[in-house]
Amino acid sequence: MAEQTTDTELLALFREPATKEKAFTDIIKKYQERLYWHIRRMLVDHEDSNDTMQNVFIRVWNALAGFREDAQLYTWLYRIATNECLTFIEQQKKRASVSFNELESGLSNKIRADKDFDANKLEWKLQLAIQQLPEKQRVVFMLRYYDEMPYEEMSRVLETSAGALKASYHHAAKKIEDFILNH
Amino acid sequence: METPNEILTELLGIAPDLSRHGISRVPYAVPDGFFEGFAENLMNRIHKEAAEFSEPQTGQQNAEVSSLLEISDISPLLAGLKNKNTYQVPEGYFENLKPIIPELETYPVTIKSKQAPVFSLKFIKYAVAACIVALLGTAIFNQTYHKNTDPIKDLTLVSDQDMANYLDADDIHWTPGISASSVATDYNENDIHDLLSSVPDDELEQYSTLLPEEKRNVN
Repeated sequence: MAEQTTDTELLALFREPATKEKAFTDIIKKYQERLYWHIRRMLVDHEDSNDTMQNVFIRVWNALAGFREDAQLYTWLYRIATNECLTFIEQQKKRASVSFNELESGLSNKIRADKDFDANKLEWKLQLAIQQLPEKQRVVFMLRYYDEMPYEEMSRVLETSAGALKASYHHAAKKIEDFILNH
Repeated sequence: METPNEILTELLGIAPDLSRHGISRVPYAVPDGFFEGFAENLMNRIHKEAAEFSEPQTGQQNAEVSSLLEISDISPLLAGLKNKNTYQVPEGYFENLKPIIPELETYPVTIKSKQAPVFSLKFIKYAVAACIVALLGTAIFNQTYHKNTDPIKDLTLVSDQDMANYLDADDIHWTPGISASSVATDYNENDIHDLLSSVPDDELEQYSTLLPEEKRNVN
């Protein structure tokens, strides 16, 4: 049912006190998997991803009434999710007092520690390769590669020009391909 | 808006290996039933937090909770250190402090009003600075003015009458580098007559009127 209701309709229902909770639940069901995988690819760990996704939707619950609809709802959700992921990564760095490189190798170690990890399989190599990228470039690659997000939408999510995003994606894809071919 | 085919075509142009079948499958596992229960779990959490926030609490408790949440957001490390005291206080310090305070009440503090000076120190400083600048300016001006004056040029501004009056008033006889006696020995009366013969009579008369009485007769 959530899939059939448009975003505009859901927003209108959310603004009515009687239907607010139902509308919000429908929004969660409509977007939870897309957002979860976006977050999970960034953070690797399921528990961290679960916590972050809950924080994302709590922010949405608090701010949705004021959403101006000048962008697509899913663009706005992705933006919140991306910011929450980057904030989480920053907090992890501060807690552990580690540099980005040390944190990045920590995420690679988490990948390797997964019970299903297989170094010979391309999809696992791809996840390791993605973790080699700088944070922002990682986000650009994943939004384009996995979510097939157009550059114009991506520029609203990341508040960066489409041209810069295109260049970033090209570099990221080349780097990842080189990593996969050489490991 | 770009289509998935266009995005795939772009990828084939950059990194064809990344478009291989199966590579884009994310290999992470998700706990069973996670997505089915997520929305309900989240709404329960929202209700619980809303209920906790609306419970009657003192303003102080609310402020403490919100400040703790705030610092936890910014820096969890600092949030953990918040209640850890590092400084030691001597034993009995606070107990001994109390009796001192009533003593202060027996000695009322009077505040003496200070009269503002007629001339504030700031004004005097500015006045002194202005005097120094004026003195320096005058000295520089004088030096520059006198350096640039041409005494010879200035003499042309003085009339002949004034110059003659000046010379006569002070009885100043200008003598060149040679002494008067040497002049006298070099010129005899005939020489003087010869010199004066070239001067017109009316000029001589004009000159003689300028001379004092005793010097008017020229032999």
